[in-house]
Amino acid sequence: MSAPATRVPPAEGASAHDHPQSANPETQFRHDAAVKSADLVHREIIRKNMESYDVGHMKGRSRFLDWEAAREACQAIKREAINHLDKYLLQFEENVTARGGHVFWAANSEEARKYIADLAVKHAVKTVVKSKSMVTEEIELSAALEKVGCTVWETDLGEYIVQLRHEPPYHIVTPAMHLNRTQIAELFRDKLGEPDLPEDPQKLVAAARRKLRKAFFAAEMGISGANFLVADVGAVAISTNEGNGRLTTSLPRIHVAVTGIEKVIPRLENLATLWPVLATSGTGQPVTTYGTLVGGARRAGEVDGPEEFHVVLVDNGRSSLLGHPEEREVLHCIRCGACLNICPVYRHIGGHTYGTTYPGPIGAVLTPHLRGRQFEHLSYATSLCGACTTVCPVKIDLHHHLLHNRRDFMKAGHGKTGERLQFRLWRAAMLNPKLYAMGGWLTRKGLRAIYGLGLSGSPFDPLRAWNRKRSTLPVARQSFREQWRKGLGNGR
Amino acid sequence: MPRKVSLFVPCFVDQLLPEVAVDTVTVLRRIGWEVEFREAQTCCGQPAFNTGYWDDARPCAERFVRVFEGAEVIVCPSGSCTTMLRNFYPELLKESPMRSEALAMGQRTYELSEFLVKVAGVIDVGAVFPHTVTYHAACHGLRELHLQQEPLALLRAVQGLKLVEMARHEECCGFGGTFATKFADISSAMGQSKAENVVASGAEYVTAIDPSCLMHVQGMLEKNKFAAKAIHLASILASQGAGA
Amino acid sequence: MPVAAPHEPTPGRPFFAPIENPLERFEQECKANLMELSLTSNPDESAQQLAAILSTLPDGEMFVQDHPSLRSLVQAASVSREIRWSTQGRPREVAQATVTLAEALVAQTGSIFVSAACGGRGASVVAPCHIVFATTDQLVPDLKTALDNATRNGILANNSFACMISGSSRTADIEKILVQGAHGPIRLAVILERS
Repeated sequence: MSAPATRVPPAEGASAHDHPQSANPETQFRHDAAVKSADLVHREIIRKNMESYDVGHMKGRSRFLDWEAAREACQAIKREAINHLDKYLLQFEENVTARGGHVFWAANSEEARKYIADLAVKHAVKTVVKSKSMVTEEIELSAALEKVGCTVWETDLGEYIVQLRHEPPYHIVTPAMHLNRTQIAELFRDKLGEPDLPEDPQKLVAAARRKLRKAFFAAEMGISGANFLVADVGAVAISTNEGNGRLTTSLPRIHVAVTGIEKVIPRLENLATLWPVLATSGTGQPVTTYGTLVGGARRAGEVDGPEEFHVVLVDNGRSSLLGHPEEREVLHCIRCGACLNICPVYRHIGGHTYGTTYPGPIGAVLTPHLRGRQFEHLSYATSLCGACTTVCPVKIDLHHHLLHNRRDFMKAGHGKTGERLQFRLWRAAMLNPKLYAMGGWLTRKGLRAIYGLGLSGSPFDPLRAWNRKRSTLPVARQSFREQWRKGLGNGR
Repeated sequence: MPRKVSLFVPCFVDQLLPEVAVDTVTVLRRIGWEVEFREAQTCCGQPAFNTGYWDDARPCAERFVRVFEGAEVIVCPSGSCTTMLRNFYPELLKESPMRSEALAMGQRTYELSEFLVKVAGVIDVGAVFPHTVTYHAACHGLRELHLQQEPLALLRAVQGLKLVEMARHEECCGFGGTFATKFADISSAMGQSKAENVVASGAEYVTAIDPSCLMHVQGMLEKNKFAAKAIHLASILASQGAGA
Repeated sequence: MPVAAPHEPTPGRPFFAPIENPLERFEQECKANLMELSLTSNPDESAQQLAAILSTLPDGEMFVQDHPSLRSLVQAASVSREIRWSTQGRPREVAQATVTLAEALVAQTGSIFVSAACGGRGASVVAPCHIVFATTDQLVPDLKTALDNATRNGILANNSFACMISGSSRTADIEKILVQGAHGPIRLAVILERS
């Protein structure tokens, strides 16, 4: 854990994720949130993107006879998996290793990085192609591979775009959501060496295809994530649209699937429910174009396929959540992104501001458990509106978990001293109606005086945090109880 | 059985927005219900609870339950405060000797529109409000109490009132309790979007069942110098003529 | 746009409407997936279809899964292109098209379910055009049936790879605009012969 250093205003598009040593996460967050929430161009881009998602998503839901029944079924599948995680993970491992695959249990990011980097060195890997995996972002894998001399190519188009810009992904499903075609065209003209590339999305995609195709065919190692680990058949299930996940797991000699331990599901048939629900929540599609199942390296008699298959199971704090009966369901997350899409906070500050691998509501709930108290502020940077909870396809009670995070932080004594004192005083007043009424009367008198002098929003204003951003809070002359006493109680 | 309700006036309504409670009393009396106000009440504990200080919220909650002992029907003109009593007291007071009383109290506590439609059985409360109004579906009322049809039904029955829908009317306005001051930038950005949606709807007024949201939205409307105003549902229902 | 409030689920109610006419549904879904589906009545028609599709493609070799039914299909279509059979090795980067069989077809989602036995992994992703030859008796109504069958028949016990394919490759990563043809095939064609 790095020592907190002086604050660094982030470069355009960058955040603490890019500069982990540069600032205390909360300070960086506040800075970035202030900048982004005032950025109306950004707000409009996000709004348009999310509107498009909303339309597709609602259309997708209408394909279900009973969407709520599907959510409940997904919740039940993940609950069974997580409540018996050890059993299903072991079953998965058994099935994979029985067919010659390798399963590595990584306690933390470092162990995972080392295993994969060592593998790359052992096999003289020079080129690595990666399909989308948030866990590989979490463990900061690319840098570790580059250190041992590999060129790492992100092949998911959105990930490739942000890689070229040296940025973290903006969103867990649509990494380049914050960019428009003009920006992407400029980027490609510069980085792909195609100066005449038009702004047409189709041509831009074709350009990326041309460039990345060379990498696919040259790579010695392909790294994928996993959407699900199917225990009964010992297979990694990967849901994609672009075909990059397919090429990544077909062409290179070595396939490494990197995954959190919580991705396990009991049975292959569970995918009949999870595949459509994931696609509906993620993009509004009935299913993603490719639902890939990989159970091992190429077998004797098969035409092609990798010679080696490795699954890296990453813990990195997840098992501590397992031990928490109230919070355990947070591990049900299937990383669909629906909570990000509906979250009004996300829509106003964007994905980079969070400074975490996982942004949005799930990120706010999860990150303090994975990365510690430095990220507690995320549980407070929310109005607890509950929209996330209504859309989560596995019915995680997200906004109540945020509330519980707050409770747990205060119980652990992490509240700021000044605030704790304020609430002690508040409590004393609320337990004593006379004190409450007197305090209320005095406060109103004081505020009216301060505002009468035109000092609203100034350092003399106890409510300046409110009044800085809004018109001055109206302060009533008479409280309700005073009016009640003065005759309202008698029906006047 | 006498038709009587015990009024639960949220602390900030009492001190900052008393007209919401005054108008609530007006409406209840107009439809023939007697109103009592137990002056011993202060705060239900929500601010401390929401901020994570459950040990400070708990004694306030316990006291609150005691204050309303014996009240048959409790009415509150706030979705968030009603939510506190009905949805969160059971959790907050899980280990408390007052738990079962708190549970019972929650069952007898109603947000105003909920009370009018489901308990009093009235939709037309004799209100007159000849203005264009848009409805903001405040979060607690919507997602914790599952209320939306009730306030809308009451609004549709108001004489002269024209109801228009605004974009993203179910999106949070950004108040969020202490969030409004702890993360004022984000809160006001969300409020800004809400205010802009109000104006785009063409409405003269935005209404909701949560006075805290309205306080925040009003602050944003005024800061932008928009003409539209925020008004609590109770004030519309209490109105018997033009303007409020 | 309001997101509908969660309603109470009905216990025991299936999530999806039952599929009365799988073939009809498969046709609808293929269309929605922007797949090219041709229904044929006999091997001659199938061969004609294959020839027709190939004639729209640029010159270049094609990769074909080495299976008797595809041997006869390709012969009947009088293919003039260079053919690389799966028994000769994996498809090459220059391949303009691949032709494979499938394990099953799924009506619910307009999907082709393939395994490593269908010409290998690259066969369904490396070339810009993937052509699937299947028969109507391979059609199952929904994903659940397909996956139950896969479990029962040990598809993943006998193959290192399987894939449910529901269209050609695509992306919406640029301004959420759907672009057909990302890294995988740009076209997915199905020749479905009545059995």
